[in-house]
Amino acid sequence: MRRRPGIAGLQNAAATRDQFRLVGENVAKVRTDVMKEQLATFRSQLEEFARKHKSDIRKNPIFRQQFHEMCAKVGVDPLASNKGVWAELLGIGDFYYELGVQIVDICIATRSHNGGLIDLLDLRKLLCQKRKATLESLSEDDCLRAISKLKILGSGFEVISVGRRKLVRSVPTELNKDHSGILGLAQAEGYVTVEQVEKEFSWSTGRAIDALETLLKEGLAMIDDGHRDGKRRYWFPCVTVSSDTTATEAKS
Amino acid sequence: MQRLGDFRLPPFFSYPPYFTLQPVRETREKQVQLWKDLILDYCRSQRVHTISLEEDFPLFSNPKIERSLSHEAKEVFLAALVSEGRAEWMDKGHKKCLILWLRIQDWANFILNFVKDNGLEVMTIEEIRSGIDTRGTELEGIDRGVLMRALRQLEQKGKAAIFKGTSADDEGVKFSV
Repeated sequence: MRRRPGIAGLQNAAATRDQFRLVGENVAKVRTDVMKEQLATFRSQLEEFARKHKSDIRKNPIFRQQFHEMCAKVGVDPLASNKGVWAELLGIGDFYYELGVQIVDICIATRSHNGGLIDLLDLRKLLCQKRKATLESLSEDDCLRAISKLKILGSGFEVISVGRRKLVRSVPTELNKDHSGILGLAQAEGYVTVEQVEKEFSWSTGRAIDALETLLKEGLAMIDDGHRDGKRRYWFPCVTVSSDTTATEAKS
Repeated sequence: MQRLGDFRLPPFFSYPPYFTLQPVRETREKQVQLWKDLILDYCRSQRVHTISLEEDFPLFSNPKIERSLSHEAKEVFLAALVSEGRAEWMDKGHKKCLILWLRIQDWANFILNFVKDNGLEVMTIEEIRSGIDTRGTELEGIDRGVLMRALRQLEQKGKAAIFKGTSADDEGVKFSV
């Protein structure tokens, strides 16, 4: 088309632009409508799902885990906010927030005993006691999810793996490889001696004592000079299978 | 759960490091607190009024885990009780310790309630310590010194009058309830 000069030409161009805009708006509106409809369907289906399975989600740990996997696939984090559609509909946020608060409670209550490091299994047992629930009703996965949410608090809540156990740390202690090695070794008997540590890791005496002294200062270890052989033993309340010890601590 | 007679021992009593004085302050504080509570609970339930550091005391060793408290540890735990008014050294050498599972003032109230509840007005000191009325109660076998101090507190408040007999055995008290 040859471009024509003059007022008419300008008006024409404006009219064409208007038409394009109108069509464009129409398309956008249709798209939004479709989207809205899809969302409505999604929402109603979700509501139905929630109605049907709410109690399952609250009660059944395996179902909870599957639900989380499903959410992860869709790219939604149901725990991201307590105000989101998911949380409102499913009440699943509340479940984990409540769990989180109880975890903080227990960690603080047992801190003076274990130095702020507690076996995940012990923690689960205490949680179940507090909730008056059976151990099966609360999975490790649940605890881990609740703890991961606690990281936001920035108070050093973290799960660390030591040997075959998982420990929950509630104090911002820096544990290096030496320390976790010792904790791993202590899992066998609940205690270690300097000699044992030297032998196991082929460390110098100084290195072993250094690491043990740090653990002692952090309140994670206790010394025991009472054994017949006269060798000092370092005990670690956090790895000692003594759920009843920690249980009474938590109650008091 | 380990027991000592009919007394249920707390779990920490079976955990060896609690028998060694802990060098780190916070751990030590926790340890001292647990022992203080245990000593008071045990003495109260077993009606033990004095602990001698020189003699064996069932609470200070656990044969099951082959651990026992050092002399220093015993003294630390008892001294902690003394500093809270829950115990008193009976000699300068800190060899014998009087355990006050009730503070003097609490003893005074306890005695007052006891005589009220039992409608008693006049008792001799020996009756309180070993008479029929107090048998099986916490007053049975109460340390004479503790008892006299509690009674004197009551006397100051005008709730009791101590009177002397012909001999120390005759000393008595009249309660005005």
